Amino acid sequence: MRHGKYPFILSFLALPVGLYAWLVLLPFAQAFQISFTDWSGSSNQFEYIGFDNYVNLFKDDRLVLPALRNTGIILVVLPVVTIALGLFFAFMLNIGGRSRQGRIEGVRGSRFHKIVFFFPQVLSLAIIGILWKQVYAPENFGGLITGGLEAFGLPSPVNGFLADKRFVLASVIAVLVWSAVGFYLVFFSSAMASIPRDLYEAGIVDGAGRFQTFFRITLPLLWESVQTAWIYLSIIALDVFVLVYMMTPGKGGPDGASEVVGGVIWKYAFTHGEQAFASALGVVLFFAALSLAVVSLRFGRRERIEF
Amino acid sequence: MRKPPTTPNVSRRRLLGTTAAGLAATSLGACATSGGDDDTEDVSVGDDAENPFGVDGSAPLEVVIFDGGFGNEYAVQHEEIYNRAFPDAEIKHTATQAIAETQQPRFSQGEPCDVLDNSGAQQIPMDALVTDGELAELTPLLEAPSYDDPNVTVLDTLRDGVLTAGTFNGKVYALNYVFSAWTIWYDAALFREKGWTPPETWDQMLALCPDIQAEGIAPWTYAGQHPVYLYDMFLMLAGRHGGVQVLKDIDELKPDAWHNASVVAAAEAMYGLWEAGYILDGTPGIDHIQSQTAFNNHEAAFIPVGSWLPNEQKGIAPDGFEYAPMGVPYLEGSAQPGLISAGGDEPFVVPEKAANKPGAYEYLRIMLSQEGAQIFGDTVQAATVVKGVELDNPAAKMTDELVSNPEDLFQPRFRFWYTKMNDEVRPALGALMSGENTPEEFIERMQTVADETAADDSIEKFHHDA
Repeated sequence: MRHGKYPFILSFLALPVGLYAWLVLLPFAQAFQISFTDWSGSSNQFEYIGFDNYVNLFKDDRLVLPALRNTGIILVVLPVVTIALGLFFAFMLNIGGRSRQGRIEGVRGSRFHKIVFFFPQVLSLAIIGILWKQVYAPENFGGLITGGLEAFGLPSPVNGFLADKRFVLASVIAVLVWSAVGFYLVFFSSAMASIPRDLYEAGIVDGAGRFQTFFRITLPLLWESVQTAWIYLSIIALDVFVLVYMMTPGKGGPDGASEVVGGVIWKYAFTHGEQAFASALGVVLFFAALSLAVVSLRFGRRERIEF
Repeated sequence: MRKPPTTPNVSRRRLLGTTAAGLAATSLGACATSGGDDDTEDVSVGDDAENPFGVDGSAPLEVVIFDGGFGNEYAVQHEEIYNRAFPDAEIKHTATQAIAETQQPRFSQGEPCDVLDNSGAQQIPMDALVTDGELAELTPLLEAPSYDDPNVTVLDTLRDGVLTAGTFNGKVYALNYVFSAWTIWYDAALFREKGWTPPETWDQMLALCPDIQAEGIAPWTYAGQHPVYLYDMFLMLAGRHGGVQVLKDIDELKPDAWHNASVVAAAEAMYGLWEAGYILDGTPGIDHIQSQTAFNNHEAAFIPVGSWLPNEQKGIAPDGFEYAPMGVPYLEGSAQPGLISAGGDEPFVVPEKAANKPGAYEYLRIMLSQEGAQIFGDTVQAATVVKGVELDNPAAKMTDELVSNPEDLFQPRFRFWYTKMNDEVRPALGALMSGENTPEEFIERMQTVADETAADDSIEKFHHDA
């Protein structure tokens, strides 16, 4: 069967690789090309202007710089909080329960909790946006949180959370965490299921509490999953746009307080008619995502434990 | 632009090189930034009053309609009129809300539609289209004999001031088909019941506010998430005080235009509404639907919206609600108290590279016929830019009175001319009216962005009456 092996394999690869090249690689390459032009997006005329777009990117303190700052904040906060909550819930639902007759299991009703936590994952982002927009609304317009705070006599932002520069970004991040945590709960749960029970039993026999079990056994053995989750969440963080678009005043406001890179790319490409500038920002984002993935894979590398 | 190789001397290396370049070029041919530059034909006005543009009756016509508040039923009927004259013409009718998504790529491929209703949130930026030379001038249309009377040109059938919005440096590129005005709305029935007089001046309005509040009603609300609803209110307040030239200076990015005393006075007056607590709580956090609902529910007495409001609220408005428009109450010592932001809206454009330009002009001519305008009036209860179409609702009649003096019609343009200014004025107005920015800070931010725009050579500059 040696003869004709490569043509056979190639025939399988040609279509997917071709499609990938045509639909993914080529547009990417084109974004690079466009970013060196002054193309508006609504014409087939353009001129090459070198690195001007890239230079101007970092002078734009109305949209680009706030967007970079906000995306940076999301990039740090979103993975940390989501992974911490995901791990905590997964641990409680699988291992953290009171041990009965030496069996290790989760807290009561863990199956029910798992499903409930997973709910947001089923909703589309657009629906989540509309839902939470109402939850965050001003008190006299039926806002749930503002209304709740008011009912307990606590101060709440009179214009709702999304129209307040101090809270808008945190509010968006909270929704992102809320919608992502269920998935990572299930993700970590399945990873935990592959950790041999005897390790825990040995730990418990040696007198380890929940806290020690988690940090000494669970977390080290889950490291690879955590790392994967980190990369996924970082990509989500770089990409976050739909929620900002759906929920915030002026699709990134009030007054630029929730601009994110994805949103600014969209604004420049479609409302400003500056496709080339948008492409330049897209290229920057591309390299940011790439280096992020490389860095986290490089520095997160640990010895694999076989069991 | 690619050039053919000049030397016929072909070496092996050169052959490989050019083949590679050719391959690269052809593969890019499928992509966004390529596409040939088609020859564009110029349309001239002929002698035949029935068919002044020399339409080829067998040529297909492609019409793209923004399927928003006005729907697209009226366009279907306009197309029927077109087919009456040219039964063989196949009309491709597209109704969509995603104008930029569906049409922008076609512009960049050099294969746009013939008539485009470039409206809605997904409008393709007009300044970019004009600067790129992608739009056909509408002069032939305006000079052509009108559909109904060969002795009257199309231009003479239009209301005053309606071409301004589609005019860029003296050239008309868009036909704004709907006549609309930005006004302040109140419920006339409520005002009658409470014995309130609709205020003429800002001071009268301020004097009325405590009475309104005493009834448990907030004096003002607006679409806080879209502060652009405040744009015309603010600018008319300034323009009424200082005269229209103040606004023209702002539009034309004159130095210190924003520092003009009238503009400062208007900013202070608007800010004063917030300071005095005359704005419905939570207003900065609500959208246009919520603010209009609050207005319908008598939670607020005044709301700035365009003249489409009564149509939009048809079927939603509470029984007995009487939408009544008024100009923004003018400040003490106003030089031009009748000034009002009114003119054309809903821009229809003909792409420069349209395949059937004569057909596109003819289609617009049909839209501007008495029959075409009446169709629009009947189907959506809104006025078109054509003179002499009667509308049968009180709000439209009251609006007509407000816009009766052609001298007082003016549409502030800078937000349409300069996207960068548009991007700043919206949040700035929002910040001013929610107390985030003081009037001084507001004026400084606007002056700064105006100066930056003026200094930026890459931005094409526009002027009034060029």
